[in-house]
Amino acid sequence: MKIQGEYVFDGPREEVWDLLRDPEVLATALPGTQSLTPVSENEYEGKMHVRVGPVSGAFSGRVIASNEAPPESYTLTVEGNGKAAFVKASGDVLLIDPGDGTTLMKYEGEFQVGGKLVSVGQRLIDSVSKRMLRHGLDTMNKALQERMLEVGD
Amino acid sequence: MNNLSTITVTVNGARYERTVEPRLLLSDFLRHELGLTGTHVGCEHGVCGACTIIFDGQPVRSCLMLAVQANGHEITTVEGLGTMDDLHPLQEAFREAHAVQCAFCTPGFLMTLVPFLEENPDPTEAEIREAISGNLCRCTGYQHIVDAVKLAAKKMSVGGES
Amino acid sequence: MTKKYLGQRMTRTEDPRLLTGQGLYVDDVEIHGMLYAAFLRSDYAHARIKSIDVSAARSRPGVVAVYTAEDLGDFWQHGPPLVPAPHSIEGVIFHSRTQVPLAKGKVRYVGEAVAVVYAESRYIAEDALEDIVVDYEPLEVAADLEKALEPDAPLVHEDLESNVASHLVQDKGDYAAAREKADLVIKRRFLIDRGAAGAMENRGVVAHWDEKSQYLTVWDTTQAPIPVRNGLANILGLSESQVRVIAPFVGGAFGPKIMMFLAEEVLVTWGAIKLNRPVKWIEDRRENFFATTQERGQIHDAEIAVTRDGRILGVSHTFLHDTGAYNPYGLTIPLNTQSHSMSGYDVANYHSELTVVFTNKMITTPVRGAGRPQGIYLMERLVDLAAKELGMDRVEIRKRNFIPPDAFPYNHQIIDQAFAPLHFDSGNYLATLEKATDMIGYEQFVKEEQPRLRAEGRHVGIGIVSFVETTGVGPYEGGRVTVEASGKISVATGVGTQGQGHFTSFAQVVADQLGVSPRDVRLVTGDTLEFHWGTGTFASRGSVVAANAIHAAAVNVRAKVLKLASKVLETPEEQLELVDGLVRVADTPQKSIGLGELAVLANPLRGAVEPGTEPGLESTDYYGPQYGATANGSHAMIIEVDPETMMVDIKRYVAVEDCGTMLNPLIVDGQVHGGVALGIGNSYYEQLIYDENGQLLNASLADYLIPTASEIPRMEVGHEETKSPLNELGSKGAGEAGCIPTPALFAQALEDALADYGIEITETPMSPNKLFELLHGKKFATNSTN
Repeated sequence: MKIQGEYVFDGPREEVWDLLRDPEVLATALPGTQSLTPVSENEYEGKMHVRVGPVSGAFSGRVIASNEAPPESYTLTVEGNGKAAFVKASGDVLLIDPGDGTTLMKYEGEFQVGGKLVSVGQRLIDSVSKRMLRHGLDTMNKALQERMLEVGD
Repeated sequence: MNNLSTITVTVNGARYERTVEPRLLLSDFLRHELGLTGTHVGCEHGVCGACTIIFDGQPVRSCLMLAVQANGHEITTVEGLGTMDDLHPLQEAFREAHAVQCAFCTPGFLMTLVPFLEENPDPTEAEIREAISGNLCRCTGYQHIVDAVKLAAKKMSVGGES
Repeated sequence: MTKKYLGQRMTRTEDPRLLTGQGLYVDDVEIHGMLYAAFLRSDYAHARIKSIDVSAARSRPGVVAVYTAEDLGDFWQHGPPLVPAPHSIEGVIFHSRTQVPLAKGKVRYVGEAVAVVYAESRYIAEDALEDIVVDYEPLEVAADLEKALEPDAPLVHEDLESNVASHLVQDKGDYAAAREKADLVIKRRFLIDRGAAGAMENRGVVAHWDEKSQYLTVWDTTQAPIPVRNGLANILGLSESQVRVIAPFVGGAFGPKIMMFLAEEVLVTWGAIKLNRPVKWIEDRRENFFATTQERGQIHDAEIAVTRDGRILGVSHTFLHDTGAYNPYGLTIPLNTQSHSMSGYDVANYHSELTVVFTNKMITTPVRGAGRPQGIYLMERLVDLAAKELGMDRVEIRKRNFIPPDAFPYNHQIIDQAFAPLHFDSGNYLATLEKATDMIGYEQFVKEEQPRLRAEGRHVGIGIVSFVETTGVGPYEGGRVTVEASGKISVATGVGTQGQGHFTSFAQVVADQLGVSPRDVRLVTGDTLEFHWGTGTFASRGSVVAANAIHAAAVNVRAKVLKLASKVLETPEEQLELVDGLVRVADTPQKSIGLGELAVLANPLRGAVEPGTEPGLESTDYYGPQYGATANGSHAMIIEVDPETMMVDIKRYVAVEDCGTMLNPLIVDGQVHGGVALGIGNSYYEQLIYDENGQLLNASLADYLIPTASEIPRMEVGHEETKSPLNELGSKGAGEAGCIPTPALFAQALEDALADYGIEITETPMSPNKLFELLHGKKFATNSTN
């Protein structure tokens, strides 16, 4: 499945970059995340609990950042496994400075899902994943705004 | 661990008291606890209708209910409809019209149709088809079932024995 | 001897039991101390198994045992191939790869069993499945039929050089030469995809091992209890006489329940012996989508060569057939496709190249139709397209090409699924088609009604197609008929019953011979203890092969009855008649003796008998046809399509069926109705959708749309009857007829209804989505075979 979109963050690129690489922020951003711990500089291990329609389950997995060109772009790879499903996703993230103090983030990637989730909840995956992503980005944007206020003080 | 619950259910006029796990499905309760295996299980996701029973007068999917939800309620299963020597007119009609092939879906159809015919004693073909559109049959193609319902309606009408 | 019951529209003897919920199905079997088995199935279509940790599952309270492939030790082995390679075709490539009880090393399809749990209840067993941790290393997936043949495609079986499971070529005449002479050659690609059988009862097995008497009893939703019993005895290291397999009432089968020795049948029985406790396994609906066999996936590149007046000179096609991850059922389905690719037409030149492909999907084995719908789809589509190009009426072009009634038996020369040259025994295809055109009012609709409705802006179309159906194949079946002391008759045969009414139709056959009511004939089917020679219920053969075996046995018993009665009544046999359970002298009816009394006399407790006499009034006989009987039919339909919603309203549906002598026309009608309903599902509502990772996306009845009473129209069934010369009863099979022509019929009718859009349909199943894409000129992306 292809996934792509845009999002406007209320802050400069350097701040957004730091935010995206902060495991604590990421952990609060993605709904259902129970823990996200760095394993090395570019790799995190995580545990999540996700519900899609009638199917829910625990997931454990890895998140890897690569091709980093701060503060412009990087590639994010996610691999997760659980009883309800397995997920493999990879996406390119591009941060653009439109010159007005905001950051335009563009993302484009692919993800594969398999398992019980897919066979029973297939129709919901599209909308649920978009909703989760949206929620995650909104949460991060809020965290960004708070940081900007702190900086501003 | 699941806490057990004691429930009392009236099935086909008889009262049963049993202790069950909260997660026990009503379909499993009827079939395996009470040994009333006439109600069949086809999907356990509420689509095929084979598990339909009459619950307080209404047709209900027993695979979507828990046994504990039936506590204090009245259920009729296919075993309560008629016996081999004394078939309900609807069962007679099914037989005459060859509306039964493998018969796995049949109890579900019967329990859906009994309340339907009570409310619609003289249904049209279109009304019948709509009424049974929640029951899947893979064997008959539905035609003889529709014929059976029309025949049953005639049999069950006041003064009617066809 | 009058035919009083054969051919009667009798209601079924078994119905009162079934209608009151008193029939025994496998899940109704309850045995004290029974364990429940549950299977952990792979979520990956293709992956290496790095490790499996069952420790948490084993320590769950209520769990008795958990096993993986490693735990099975020497017992772990590939299942037996059920159908071998055809020995009578030259140059066949055939790589046999059969399924395993539990995956070892790697998994090859979503749903493949990886571990088995035996627990005190189904609920606990399913809980324990969640405790098992499997570490998979995902591999690239070969899901697409064509991509699986590319040089760098992932290999389903790594010991093979490619995913080619089989390859063969069949030729009749010389297609290349015929093509040269043609005025028109039409080439098309046809895509056909998978559907599920979707029986309302899912599969199930209960096994009971009695340690003291060393006897295994198995209740199984199988269509073939005898081969299952023989195979299980072999697999489990038992004597055949130590194993009893019972197929009780079975809630519909439609093909997949004849697949044998999948993980569950093997491990439930093995587990019962190993754990010395009865074991039950009942499949749930979601499992059924993954773990029960299915079929139809093929891609055809085909051509037809015709003259300008519509005579077919030849047909040629190269096709791929999707066998899934293993091929235990051999080439039955694609051979059937080849046998039906010329349909009932007199085609002198035919070329067919078949490649069977392994993919990372569930195994394919016959589903009602079993490869025939694909062949008929091919031919009927090509004929329709030729008719269009030639500006010829579609009924007319068919009439010009039928095998004429005097050309039977017709030898098609190509090899069929029984590995013998394809023969059609009898038929009058023109009569069948004409009856269908009459019943639907073809001429009147095309000339008057359709133009009128079209002028009103409505999109109405008519479709009419013809087809043949090979039925009644061997090898053989058997039957035993016995007159009991009560005067009632008991009959046993090896085939099982899944709703076809054998208990009544076979009784009608016996009743006529013995002068009793069919209600006094008690039939047992599908119990190896009662009868242990035979193959099973498949390929529309019950009413041919089993019925004729029973008929032969009944004829023998009649002869014994007459011989003994003649002695007892001191009257020559010619003067005796069998009526109402009595043998009586024709003109002196008070001189009679009851069948029961005769039976007692035939089985004395004391005294001497003449050497060479057999006790009782009983006979066992067999019937094995030299080749199968060929039924035929013609279906027609008038539909209206809403080009906004893509919803299809079937206004009229006509099915004309010629299955020779009908044992019970009421039951035949039921079979035709059911077949048509499944065919309509196959044509417009149902498709098993796999994505490029071999994930099944619609594994529930909410997403896999089996038609309801709202989608299936009223069907008008007509009959023609060209008896089969191959058997005493003159019967041909009818079980699969309804669903064989439907996809071709839908394609034609949809094109006709939407003629103003000028669409061409070369894919089945169709769906509202696909129709939408076609109408809007977009090439739709199909998930599986394309």
